[in-house]
Amino acid sequence: MTDLARDAWTVLRTEIRVRVRTVITDRRTLLGTASSLLLFGVLFPWFFRENVVSFGERAATGAVPLGPLGAAFATLAVVGVTVGASTGFGQETTGTVGPLVRTSVAPTAVSLARLASEVARGLTIFVLPAFAVLTFLGTGYGGPALPALLAAGALPVILAALLVGRLVGDAVRYLNLAVGVSLWVKAAVTVVVTLVFFVGTQALLFAGSADAGEGSESPLAAASLPPFLPGEPLQSYAGVVTSPVGGSPRALGWAVGIVAVAAVPVALAAALRAETHLLFRETSAGDAGDAVAGTSGVPRPFTVGPGARVAWRYLLRTRRDPRILSHLMIVLFMGIGSLGNVVRDPGSIVHIGPPIAVIGGAVLAGATYCMNPLGDDVDQLPLLLTSAGSTSVLLHGRALAGVAVGLPLALGVGVPLAAVSESLLFAAWLAVLAVALVFGGAGVALGLGAVVPKFETREYMSVERPHPSNYVLFGYLLGVTLGGGIGFLLVDRAASGAPGALVGVGWAVYLAVVGGAGLGGYVYAHRRFDDLSLDRF
Amino acid sequence: MSEPSTSRETDAALSARGLTKRYGSTTAVESVDLTVDPGVVFGFLGPNGAGKTTTMRILTGLIDPTSGEARVAGVPSDDRARLVDHIGLLPEEPPLYDELTGREQLQFAADLRDIRWDAVSERALGLCDKLDLSEDLDRRIDGYSKGMRQKTAFVQTVQHDPDVVFLDEPTSGLDPRAAKTLRELIVDLAESDTTVFLSTHILPVVEEIADEVGVLHEGRLVAEGSIDELVASAGAAADDRATDDQTVDDRAGDSAETAGADDPDLEDAFLALTSREETDWNADA
Repeated sequence: MTDLARDAWTVLRTEIRVRVRTVITDRRTLLGTASSLLLFGVLFPWFFRENVVSFGERAATGAVPLGPLGAAFATLAVVGVTVGASTGFGQETTGTVGPLVRTSVAPTAVSLARLASEVARGLTIFVLPAFAVLTFLGTGYGGPALPALLAAGALPVILAALLVGRLVGDAVRYLNLAVGVSLWVKAAVTVVVTLVFFVGTQALLFAGSADAGEGSESPLAAASLPPFLPGEPLQSYAGVVTSPVGGSPRALGWAVGIVAVAAVPVALAAALRAETHLLFRETSAGDAGDAVAGTSGVPRPFTVGPGARVAWRYLLRTRRDPRILSHLMIVLFMGIGSLGNVVRDPGSIVHIGPPIAVIGGAVLAGATYCMNPLGDDVDQLPLLLTSAGSTSVLLHGRALAGVAVGLPLALGVGVPLAAVSESLLFAAWLAVLAVALVFGGAGVALGLGAVVPKFETREYMSVERPHPSNYVLFGYLLGVTLGGGIGFLLVDRAASGAPGALVGVGWAVYLAVVGGAGLGGYVYAHRRFDDLSLDRF
Repeated sequence: MSEPSTSRETDAALSARGLTKRYGSTTAVESVDLTVDPGVVFGFLGPNGAGKTTTMRILTGLIDPTSGEARVAGVPSDDRARLVDHIGLLPEEPPLYDELTGREQLQFAADLRDIRWDAVSERALGLCDKLDLSEDLDRRIDGYSKGMRQKTAFVQTVQHDPDVVFLDEPTSGLDPRAAKTLRELIVDLAESDTTVFLSTHILPVVEEIADEVGVLHEGRLVAEGSIDELVASAGAAADDRATDDQTVDDRAGDSAETAGADDPDLEDAFLALTSREETDWNADA
């Protein structure tokens, strides 16, 4: 047991040391981490500051509002399970534990260290916001008693949630390894589960907020939780936790507390067993089932020039391994909110469908292959730079591949929907907008990707590769949405019979700006690519 | 970039003058002067970290020198747009796309050069035949062994019949039969007037196929010439050293003893040349 703990501590220390060094030695990573801490650790709690202080003041009167506390515990549980599950699923490639460690110390020690490392990381996420919220609470309450009780009560909840989530993630990872299905099926399942989760959450939250009524003072004031959250048991648990300062303990609350505390060692033991088993299984995992026979050649639409033929290779590679596009999950997360409206009012699809399809097409045109033109091929750069006389062939290839993905969505879905919901004239103008946005977007994305190239591999959605910068992706999505919104105004004006000269000038300016931005992005990427030196590799 | 200064440099497949590359206070390559004639297999030797890869990267236009200049096939090495028409590079890690098949990878490489596959397929497939790769050309590269990846990358490097080929450890990962075939192909390339710049640690390979050898040590080109010249000069210098001062340094002494043996070979010369003691071997060579 002592050996086990010592070995685990050695591995854990190395993991943490490497992680910390990775963050503090890379300026971009440090900036990203600092931004996240600022956002979630300071700004987010600050947003709720008045409510939290007010909550503390109310609790100081002796009547602790258990509704919001139940909601807070439920939020902690959901976030904990989510964080735990994502780290459990992503454990396959994370960390510095390699074959050397696997064959040098007891497997359980390795699992324990990895688990402790991830749980510590998960807890770190909560430290700053928890400290801020508890400080506000103490200010309102007029002392540290309530914050201390809540911190103590939250600890078993968050620990149990992280570990249970970890088990869920392990189970999904096991299934992922065990089921020899195509990568596309796995990708489709991931996307569908994500959609169902988000859309379902939106629907339930909508129902919950409807129950709470229009007059709710704040998100925390909603005493009626959505039905999918364990409101009643966690409110009872909050009563137990706050009993020394006026809370009303109930038997159900004690039961929840006992279950939460007991779940920690049970989930820990189960996760350790599962991960020790997976530790050796994952090394033999592969995707040999995805090996396919070669193509006989390049399809006719892609034979028109070297750029088009290169575009076909990008598409072909994606068809065989959709993980190349794993960075698009963040686009899905960002864009998914708009689907909430469709859940609430399915008939609205014909009205919001055209903008979603056109903007979505433009986003895909840029985000699929153009957001990291230099970094995506980092391992192949010696070939690319000593083969292509001008890197324009590669940039053309990337842009055309992106357009091949985005344009069918924008033109094939958005325009017909507009023809049904609006008018043929509206659809015609929308087609102009779609083409401009898709091609302009691809060029802009190339430029953005060349400004912030990412050469280092990092893990995202369990895929390790040089993913584009999430910040740049986010900026691109916002820019396309804004540009698309302005374009829709022009389409609407043009289709509704506004004065021709005004519309004409508006379109001319709009197309010049979109086209100029796209061309500018392409030219910048071209120059940057042609001047690229491999000094840093 | 200034024009070549001698007629040999003008006709050379590859020439470098005062080539220096510094990274901060670290000097990776220092004042390398080099001339390689067309159709020659030039063995580029040096210990780990000597600056071989950096030199090859400068010569292929992948990085710029801090000072000095180089020409490959008459084209300045910093003119990448023109340079690519004349060169092929096989780096130590084969630059391949795992998701493509071997055939698609070769077609992709042709596309990058804007060469129709039809124009190079006969040569490429012929090379694949010789390397026993043909039957695997329609399999995905992520299913390839290290040797198969190396073979594919080699074909990709030479399929367009470049003037100068840069090969970094080309026989790495190959079984003895494939390695022998590859050596024969390299000789064939040279016989068809392609210059081969061969960087490797495997001295017998260089001894077997190289016409000329350059030895890089701590960023400096410490010797250049035919293998016989190198062996002879290193042996003579080591003999002198052994006679003059037997106790200078254990390692140098060991090298001198080895190099001073009856039948010194390239390995002896290499060990003597790359011993840590400062010696101006070029003066002897």
